Amino acid sequence: MIRGTVVGRVWATRQAHGLDGCKLLVVAERDADGKASGRIVVAVDVLGAGSGEDVTVALGSGARNVLRPGPDNRDLLCDAAVAAIVEGAG
Amino acid sequence: MFLGRVAGTVWSTVKWPETRGLKLLLVRPYRLGDLAPGAAGDAGGEASEPLDDLVVCADLLDAGVGDDVLVAFGHAARVAVGEKLAPGSKPNVPIDAAVVAVVDRVEIERAPRR
Repeated sequence: MIRGTVVGRVWATRQAHGLDGCKLLVVAERDADGKASGRIVVAVDVLGAGSGEDVTVALGSGARNVLRPGPDNRDLLCDAAVAAIVEGAG
Repeated sequence: MFLGRVAGTVWSTVKWPETRGLKLLLVRPYRLGDLAPGAAGDAGGEASEPLDDLVVCADLLDAGVGDDVLVAFGHAARVAVGEKLAPGSKPNVPIDAAVVAVVDRVEIERAPRR
């Protein structure tokens, strides 16, 4: 997973059906010092994260479990999902 | 998934049979600074190295050069390819990146500074 900050949203009308109804957030990755690395990922959000909030993003096959716990979730089109809204990090 | 701009196309005749009919695009990923000037990753107007990080993606949505697109990696890319080539099943194709949306709008609200 990565840690990052929600910085915006993405809208698309021409998209794969697997993304229909998904809320897509732009997340700016933070490095070990907590600074923005410049890298961004687009993650599906079902937790209700908003702009400016710190989140963790699950990447790869693990991300599907956020949308629907496995094992019967291999049909989902998801490789990045907000897994937690972060309150603090030391 | 990542956001990027379509920079070109790739074509081939010798390839895995199940990938026939799939268009391949070259996509350059955006960094935060490309979307929010002054934010971390902003090259200050200088073009970042375009050949540094190009990704070859299967195109399912007929995207063209200059379009902003959303690209999925790994298993998710094969799920998307399955929608197009064999609805209801996941084809065993050597594809690990696919364009899954042609982006209308990206709204950046609070971009952290470097």
